[in-house]
Amino acid sequence: MKEIKGLIKKDLLNLASYKSTLIVVIICVCAVGSMSQSAINYIPIMMTAMIGMIALSTFSYDEIAKSNKYVLTLPTNKKEVVIEKYILVIGCIFIGAIVGFIITPVIIYIINYFRPENNMNIDYNLLLTTTIGGIFGISLVSSIQIPSIYKWGAERGRIQMFILVFGLIAIVVGIGYLLVKANINIDYNVLNNFLDKFGLVVLIILSFVMLYVSYKIAYKIYLKEEN
Amino acid sequence: MENSIEIKNISKNYPDFELKNISFNVPEGCIVGLIGENGAGKTTTIKAILNIINTTGEIKVFGKDNKEYEKEIKKDIGVVLDDSFLSTYLTAKNINSIMKEFYNNWDKEKYFRYLKQFDLPTNKLIKDFSSGMKMKLKIAVAISHSPKLLILDEPTSGLDPIIRNEILDIFREYIEEDEKRAILMSTHITTDLEHIADYIVFIEKGNIIFNLPTEELLENYGIVKCSKQEFEKIKNTDYIKYKKEKYQYEVLVQNKYDFKRKYNIDVIDKPTIEDIMLFYVKGEK
Repeated sequence: MKEIKGLIKKDLLNLASYKSTLIVVIICVCAVGSMSQSAINYIPIMMTAMIGMIALSTFSYDEIAKSNKYVLTLPTNKKEVVIEKYILVIGCIFIGAIVGFIITPVIIYIINYFRPENNMNIDYNLLLTTTIGGIFGISLVSSIQIPSIYKWGAERGRIQMFILVFGLIAIVVGIGYLLVKANINIDYNVLNNFLDKFGLVVLIILSFVMLYVSYKIAYKIYLKEEN
Repeated sequence: MENSIEIKNISKNYPDFELKNISFNVPEGCIVGLIGENGAGKTTTIKAILNIINTTGEIKVFGKDNKEYEKEIKKDIGVVLDDSFLSTYLTAKNINSIMKEFYNNWDKEKYFRYLKQFDLPTNKLIKDFSSGMKMKLKIAVAISHSPKLLILDEPTSGLDPIIRNEILDIFREYIEEDEKRAILMSTHITTDLEHIADYIVFIEKGNIIFNLPTEELLENYGIVKCSKQEFEKIKNTDYIKYKKEKYQYEVLVQNKYDFKRKYNIDVIDKPTIEDIMLFYVKGEK
């Protein structure tokens, strides 16, 4: 466990160079979000995406310094190296979500204070939905991207990830098209009711399942890889 | 004498390279130099010892299997790799806070003492260090937890002679501090090894060509310089390799004293390790 802490420290100290960029990004996200009532609800998603994606940039640092080879000379092993990356990514996703969830009402209060004529409302249900939606979205992207990076490297992995994401979208659109073509009607009310009742819980569970499966795949790839 | 590293018949197949049944030991209290051309298999051997790559055969470090006891073994090893380190966006001070998580016996005072001794800044990003400074930092990191074994992959490549000498002094001091310590050092700068190595292991195209005490190599081996007529009299079994030069033949012999007695040829030079390596690689038989 101490070794994982050492690996996390290494990545966090690397990310320290992002401090000023991160502050600028947060200000920009807040500025964009404060433009309208509908835009402000997307702050948690944007914040989760920004902070979650920053964790993935540690792979580029590792690649530049070829540090994966060096790290394996330390008292650790490939399993701990992969686990650390997932802990870091999950941590960043949740920090992003929490920052987004907290910062949105704060921005609304500030806007309402300076522009009382355009009073904005805080919809906590919507805020929770967008926050968890953000967690799910970035978990999905990370779940695809991390094994891709282990397989193809940080640069090529990013390209492969986009191909995979577009492939997934194409499959979903294709299935929808085939359902319409085959005259199969889905009762959307049943689906909506289900999502209203259990949607957020399902998204959280799905996020963890995706990340767990992704970890298993990434570890298997990394175990075979020879630095 | 116990062995810090015992390697028995390790093999590794790549599409364009093969490590073939490598066996050698690194005894306690000794510095073993691993020499060979680029791509001969030196780094592959080091990676195998550190379990970075999978190989067949048996590797024991401190008498324990290197796969089964990987983490335990690595706590007592310090490693310097020529082309790999932690991120260059860190400072020497950052490295201290990272390394203390990996090694229970990480000695912060010792580490900062080395940084001072090597004139290394603590708050400057590593990316702004010169090659020599980077190498000194890697060495400071490798020895600050007082490991029982140092594994060094090309620790002096790309460095000027003054820094190389300083670095060799560090290794000398390190091994003299405790007789149980050992160093395995791969390099293609063979002159460095003449000064510090106790044994030389020469790898060529994935095979071990020889594994001999440095003293034996430098004292017993000889380069015979002779005419064509003299060379033709030498039995094939009495020399290792020969090179045909413009005006003479140069012949590498394993025991210059025996050779002198047998053939009565007086011009026998003392070879350097580099000369011996070149004969093996470029010489004919």
